[in-house]
This record gives sequence, structure tokens and C-alpha cells, in this order.
Amino acid sequence: MMNGRSISAGKARGTVLKIDGAFSFLGGVDGSTGELKGDNKGNISDRIFVFQMGKGSTVGSFTMYDLKVHGKQPAAVINRTAETIVATGAVISSIPMIDRIDVSLLQNGDDVTVDGDIGTAEIHNVKIMGSVSSVILSGGRILMLRRPDDASSFPGIWSLVAGRIEEGEGAEETAVREIFEETGISVSRPDAHLDPIFIREKDIIWKVHPFLFTHDGTDVELNSENLDHRWVMPDELEGMSTVASTVSAVKELLKKIRCP
Amino acid sequence: MYLTRDEEDILGGSKGESAQKAMELIVALGKVYGADGLVDITSAHLSGASYKTIGDGGLKYLEDVSKDAKVAVKATLNPLGMDRDRWREMKISDHFAQKQLRIIEFYGKMGVRTTCSCTPYLIDNIPSFGDHVAWAESSALSFVNSYIGARTNREGGPGALAAAIIGKTANYGLHSDENRRPTMVIDADIGSTLFDHSLLGQAVGRIIGGGIPYYRNIRPDIESLKSMSAAMAAAGSVAMFHVEGITPEASLHDIKDLERVHIGKKELEDARLSLNTADDVQLIAFGCPHLTVREITEMAAFLKDKKKRREDVDIWFCTSSDARNKCPDQVRILERFGPVLADTCMVVAPIEANYQRTGTNSAKAGNYLPTLCSQKVICSDFSKLMEMVL
Repeated sequence: MMNGRSISAGKARGTVLKIDGAFSFLGGVDGSTGELKGDNKGNISDRIFVFQMGKGSTVGSFTMYDLKVHGKQPAAVINRTAETIVATGAVISSIPMIDRIDVSLLQNGDDVTVDGDIGTAEIHNVKIMGSVSSVILSGGRILMLRRPDDASSFPGIWSLVAGRIEEGEGAEETAVREIFEETGISVSRPDAHLDPIFIREKDIIWKVHPFLFTHDGTDVELNSENLDHRWVMPDELEGMSTVASTVSAVKELLKKIRCP
Repeated sequence: MYLTRDEEDILGGSKGESAQKAMELIVALGKVYGADGLVDITSAHLSGASYKTIGDGGLKYLEDVSKDAKVAVKATLNPLGMDRDRWREMKISDHFAQKQLRIIEFYGKMGVRTTCSCTPYLIDNIPSFGDHVAWAESSALSFVNSYIGARTNREGGPGALAAAIIGKTANYGLHSDENRRPTMVIDADIGSTLFDHSLLGQAVGRIIGGGIPYYRNIRPDIESLKSMSAAMAAAGSVAMFHVEGITPEASLHDIKDLERVHIGKKELEDARLSLNTADDVQLIAFGCPHLTVREITEMAAFLKDKKKRREDVDIWFCTSSDARNKCPDQVRILERFGPVLADTCMVVAPIEANYQRTGTNSAKAGNYLPTLCSQKVICSDFSKLMEMVL
């Protein structure tokens, strides 16, 4: 379940049609057929229409009404940020709409229920899995592990010390266990943590709990889960192929220990 | 966002479906802008009157809303896509005219005054200092914020209609004292003509975007103020400005720490050049915003003993019915050069069907003619434009 904000009332279930960036209803869609125009392809009629935010002429609100008159309106609208044109169009056309949703978690073809009364979206075809991702900081360097090319998730790229939360386990417990299993390093309490970050990977949304542990020494004993390890300076991360959100999470965690 | 029990009830449908929809829209827009609640309004001014700008979607929307909605406060309407009586002279098609007449009928049914001017503050919708209002039409709302000291944000057409139906709008932005403070001081060194002030608005709108300028060293009359506010709202998204000695709230603010920008002849010339894209014209149109009685009188005095020589150029004088009725002798003089059209203008009329190159003395029109009407533009002052055809 994704919690956003209610903009226009009503509930709807449908298949996601997602387009990148900002969208203008005026000029962006045919008001009598629902067919997208210009760079975007597809038909928004009966779909859960997902985009970052609206833009363009205020007449776009009436284009949405035109779609409604022709029975070609989207089943619901999901935005990162609602603005006047689309919010107006959704309300006057009675199209359920919510905003403050991380639209990167939604993909074309997802089966989604939008509840415009309370501002939520539920993706029926994904599992939400809890996991942890830990920064081990030693002498200003961060431990990065390279995942095998045949790993089931995020193959072949560099990651923090990460792992899935097992049944009945707390996130912090998982972090301590995974660090010992994957690196042989013993840690006790984290020095910083962040609110969970959500990352979409195929039919899974990872609810990732980020932690930071400080540690003395650089000895690492890898188990079979990773191919290689490196101690890197934080600014080297940007040049490496890493799991989504790694760079920003590391920055946030480092900020927390520098100015607690 | 806080709603009173009464407002919650309307949202729940206690006053019927159209009031419920209107309340839903006000609340949704309040959320978009981070409003803390609603505020009572004394009037509304609505945009979305021309069939050209709202299309069939807008027409159907108005037809549906007008079945059972009535406005609760005084509400006026923006210019139409044609003069109600003289649309054939504007080469408007029968199809367009029929749709336009239906739009007027739907607004009228809801109790909206169909005066249809962009200068309602000179006619039949004159707010008082401190009034909260919900106005669309960027030039008019900026004028009432800045000259009268009424309080409105930049409302959209449907939002302003919803506010008129409920008699309230979302409380945010320019409804609060702290958001009416100037953000930049403009030290102007310009001439005294209407066109100078229009270009001043253009130059400042480009620099300041959505900020609030504080002007020093100008003494604009009503006509110059209306041209400035129109230009600032079109070149930027200025919804309020202060003019020292004119804006009622100007003296309340401490400006000593604000950034200062000098606008002189060079900046005005740059602004003028940026709006000029044509070498010749097929249409010259005045009245954006609508001509006042004083402007019509001055134009008539200039044209009194002159004769139009070029038959290949049409001239339109756009004004309100109110102003047109008030100066019949002057109107007769202008009519020798072209029609004095009421309650419409060159920006919202479908001129692109008949013209490709238009002359205007309005920086606001200079911004919109290329995008809304596919025109190449000559933007110049009244006498220079008229000299092209005399």
C-alpha cells in the first residue's frame, strides 16, 4: 500500500499507463478518443494514468472533461505533485486522483487500486519485501561489495552490505547478522539510520532500511554471496554502478553522523 | 486544511451536487497551494468565456454545471471570442458564433453578469480595499490587488466559478499580509506614455517571474497601470505590484534590504525588440486590456481629421459595451477606421483564421498573439501603428 494524498474523490482499479515527465492534457491527448499524441503512445481510457505532474495550458482541465463526456477518461490519475490544471480537471470530471506518490515505484501494466477518498494506491501484482542496507565506515572509507552476475536481485553491481529481513526479525537485527555473514565483521549498534527507502525491482518493492555502522580495521572475509569487495571514499560512489538510491542514502547517513 | 462544520456538510452534499463539486474543487486547489482553510469572498471574476479558449470540453462543462448551480456572490465574466452583435464584421464563422452564444447563455443562467470585459473594475465589479475576492484574468486581478488593495490569487476559470458558487475561496498566498510584501525594488527611468508603461511591465515581468515588484519614480494613470499589470502578468506571472504613492499598501513595507533593479530606456527597447517579429501587418488591434473612455477619446482626437489610406489592413478597437456607450461621438470617429468592438479582443477571438500578422500597442497581446493566435507581431505605440495606414 502506498500512502499519498487525496485530491479527487472516488475509487478505481485498473492497469497502469505511465509516461515520463510532466504532461499537458491540452495537445497531449485526443479528447474524444483518449489516444495519446506526440511523443507518448497508448490510450489512457480506463487506465490508471501515472505521470509526475501536469503542465501547459489551463484549457487542459476542459480536455479532461471532454474525455469524460466521451467516456474515454482515465480510471484514475496518480501524480508525484498535483498542480492546478490536472487537479481541476480531475475534480470537475469526477476522476479519482491522488498525489505525493513516488511514481518510480509504478510500472506500465501494474494492476493498481486507487482510493481517491483517502489518498492511497495499492499495487496488486507486487510483493513488498523488507530488507536492510548498511554502510560500514572505517577510516573515512565505505565497504562496497560486488554482487554475482547471476544474483537473483541487482546482479553484477556494487552494493552496501544488504540482505532480506527474515520472518520475525527486526531490521537492526538483520543488519548485524548480514554484516557478520557477508563480511565476518562484528558490529553491535548502528551509529545512524534513515527512514525506509522504497525501490522497485520487477515484481518486488524493496522496503530498504538504511543503517550506518562505524568500524575499526579493514579485514573482510567474504562468503559466497558476493564476488569482491572494496573500501571506497564516499565521492567515488558516483562513478560506480550501484543499486538505486545508494549514493543519496550514503550522503544522508554521513550527514547524520557529522551533525547529529 | 481546516473546514468548518458547514463547509464539511457542503462537501458531503448538503447543498446539492453542484455545490458539492464546487467545494471539492476549492478544497483540492487549497491542497495544491497549501491553504490553511477557506475565506469568504465578496466577488469573483471568471475567465473561460471564449469558445476559442475553452473548446467543446468547456462548453459541455458549463452546460452541465449550469443545470443547477447559481453564483452566491457578484460574478463577472471575461471577454468573449466575438462581439455579440458584430461578429460577422470580425469574419467569425456561424459555427463559432452559435457555440459562443450558448456559452454566454450558460453563464447567464448561473447568475454571472455577462458584461464580458477584462476591466470589470471600471464597470460593474469594483472591490473595496481589504476585500477578499476570487478573480481569474491575470491583468484584472493584479490591478485590484495593486491599485485597490483587494486580495486575490491568480485563480483559474473553473476555480473562480467554484468560488463564486460557494462564496469562498482557499486561503493562501495573496490573501495574507505576509505574502503581499514586495520582493524587488524597480527604479524606473522611463517616459510617460501608455506604451512606455506597457514595455516597463514587459521588462519587469521577464525579470521577476512570480515576484512582487515595488516601483519608484513613476506616476502611472489608470490606463498605464492597466497596461503595466497586463504586461507583467503575461511576461511573468506577477499577481501584485506596489507603486510608491499609489498602491494603498506600498507604505507599509520596509524596502531597504530588497534587491534594486534599474529599468531605463535601454531595457524598454530590449523589451520592445523581443516582441517584434513582423515587418508589416494585416490587422491592427487596440484594447488589450479593453480601451477606457479616456483612451477612446484620445484616439478620436488624434484621428479626427485623418483618413485611412490602406484598404488591405483592418483595424479593431476593442472595448467594453459600457465604454462604447459612454462616448458615441468619439466612437463614430474611430468607426471610420475600423469597428469598435465590444466585449471581445484580438487575443481570445479566432483571428488566426483570417490574419497572420497583427499590430498591437499592448505588450500583453505581444506575448499571447504568437502562441494563442499564431501571429507575427508588430508591437509599437498607437500613433506609430496608425501611421502605417494613414
